Amino acid sequence: MRVAVQPTYEMTKLLKMDRFELDVADATTVADVVATTRTKVGPEFDKLSRLAAIAINGVLTSYQQGMKTRLSDGDEISFVKASAGG
Amino acid sequence: MIKGYAGRILEVDLKNRTFAFKPLDENIARLYIGGKGYGTRLLYDMTKPGIDALGPENPLIFATGPLNGSVAPQSNRFVVVCKSPLTGGIGNAACGGSFAYGMKKAGLDVLICKNQSDTPVRLDIDGDKDSVTFIDASDLWGKGTYETQEILGNKKYNAVIGPAGENMVLYAGILSNERIAGRTGVGAVMGSKKLKAITVSGSRKLEMDDPKAFKEYNKQLATMFKDHPVLGHSLDAYGTAGIVKTTNARNIIPTHNFKFGHFKQAMGLTGEYMHDHTLVGTKSSCIHCPVTCGRQVELEGVGTVKGPEYETLGLMGTNLEIPDIRKVQEWNYVTDDMGMDSISLGAVLSFTMELQERGMLQSGLNFGDPSGVTEMIRDIAHRHGLGNDLADGTKRMSEKYGGREFAMHVKGLELSAYDPRGSYAQGVEYATTNRGGCHVQGASMYLESVGPFTINPMNLKLKADIPMLQQNLACTINSMVLCIFTTYGMIPKFIHEMDPKSWQYRLAVAAVENSGPMLRIVQSIKGKPMMWWEKWLTLITGAPMSSGHLQEIGARIFNLERMYNLREGMTAKDDTLPPRMLYEPLFKHMKSGHPLDQLLPRYYYLRGWDPTGVPTRQTLEKLQVAV
Repeated sequence: MRVAVQPTYEMTKLLKMDRFELDVADATTVADVVATTRTKVGPEFDKLSRLAAIAINGVLTSYQQGMKTRLSDGDEISFVKASAGG
Repeated sequence: MIKGYAGRILEVDLKNRTFAFKPLDENIARLYIGGKGYGTRLLYDMTKPGIDALGPENPLIFATGPLNGSVAPQSNRFVVVCKSPLTGGIGNAACGGSFAYGMKKAGLDVLICKNQSDTPVRLDIDGDKDSVTFIDASDLWGKGTYETQEILGNKKYNAVIGPAGENMVLYAGILSNERIAGRTGVGAVMGSKKLKAITVSGSRKLEMDDPKAFKEYNKQLATMFKDHPVLGHSLDAYGTAGIVKTTNARNIIPTHNFKFGHFKQAMGLTGEYMHDHTLVGTKSSCIHCPVTCGRQVELEGVGTVKGPEYETLGLMGTNLEIPDIRKVQEWNYVTDDMGMDSISLGAVLSFTMELQERGMLQSGLNFGDPSGVTEMIRDIAHRHGLGNDLADGTKRMSEKYGGREFAMHVKGLELSAYDPRGSYAQGVEYATTNRGGCHVQGASMYLESVGPFTINPMNLKLKADIPMLQQNLACTINSMVLCIFTTYGMIPKFIHEMDPKSWQYRLAVAAVENSGPMLRIVQSIKGKPMMWWEKWLTLITGAPMSSGHLQEIGARIFNLERMYNLREGMTAKDDTLPPRMLYEPLFKHMKSGHPLDQLLPRYYYLRGWDPTGVPTRQTLEKLQVAV
């Protein structure tokens, strides 16, 4: 199956792309995709992702099964940082 | 006179060209503070039900509060109150810039513009001479807001309208510097009076109960503000545009007229992208505000202008599916210059695009295509051609052309850039807020979808409590008058620094989510002032203010607004969301839309309203709401 990843803005600068897609196995979890993203981004990943929550199709993993949440075909995984304004 | 107030109201009759200074009513000030609260009380008492919002009976009330003129951070804002021509209910809009400061320097708490001039006019108010000069404004009529302010100069403090206000576009606003009192059509009411501009000047000083302690406290706060992740960092770095990335990731940024909540090409519209590619010059703020949330960009053929805020990026960027930041920057400038609310404008444009897509109206406007948009904005402002219909807003457009099920408004006011299907408390807030579908009358989304500490936005826990508490707080913030952004500072730095993936964070969120009535109980305590706005109010007026005091005052203001709307013929049927929000799923797990029907009865109960949404006699008596 195929999933898409939307990294934080800082990560996109290192990756030189706004988002990327991955072909993954059926039982893939969020943790697997995070590990792949870590490899792609490089050593800066831990620092850049520390304050980011992770959402699957807009729903935070903390309301699901956390990093063990299983993915489905077409899912979009986003790294989300808090913001403010309006 | 209570400290913090100038002690007087100026009443101007635009038809007869007369004016009178009157004393501020201290009892109203104690019960309603000032700003929106005081203005709403005046509007309720001064007007009869059913007046024409664009007729001479509708007063245009500019109101400040006790914090204005104090140089407290984020405190120089005024509120305009009148009957809304867009919704037919309570109309109000807050604005930064410098006009509020000018009003207090002129010794004015409130300015009431009554009746209508026969010809274009501007007012020049000199607070030191106690004079009001009525000046012919024919030379300014037709000019944009920026040129008008340039002609008026910067020696005085200005509030102006553009062509949209002159032509009574129902979502026209009033500008002070580059900031706008945008919502509910207050600029159309100013235009109906042929009042092009107001300038104020004076040299009066604000009296405070404890100026020394106030000064000392602000010194302490300056460090906290500078160090705060939102007030000192993210708003400074990215402005409100910093939200785009967050709401897009949370699937709640309006896309394709709110059909979707995620735009794949949104990266080019983010505050971060703007920071790296299009921002120029200096950051800007309202007078005396250390939070530099304003941005400047370069516009070809024009020069350096204000950059777009989050709402404009959402409603005129993702919602129209335009990923080109430079087009949105251009539209933002034209919209401000014409003097219009970019939220309502973006929504009416996306509605028109969906009509085109469905073959219900040939407008030439299409999703993802910027062609024709700039011209349409100008046509709307001047009420030319089809622009004349768009100038009346989404609700009236849907009544004329059909499409009620995808007309994105509440009570006639177009929704802001947060999809309530992924933010249930925000949905309740949209449905019940007295001026209609707006986000800054509570900003519940901050606690469930945007901020650093968010409860699950898609279960029912606290989703009726939070809107009520936040609406009450916002009523008082808009009555002091402060910027709503100040409330974003209430979440302390250490929470911002928690990893949202950590068990500690999840535990804390679960504790709040399952706290039952505790949130309401804690906020109802009348104790010592804790938050800075409570302390400012206490130090300036001398009256002790705490969360409990403000919740009570906020509820009083909110209920008075509610009574105004009921008097104008609104009912519980108007406490709803657009059908698209109620019945179309947005997330994979959803079977339908926002569960408003499950939340509204509890909201009414918490408010002390009967099941038909009418405040009970006991509620009104307890809150001292005289109607």
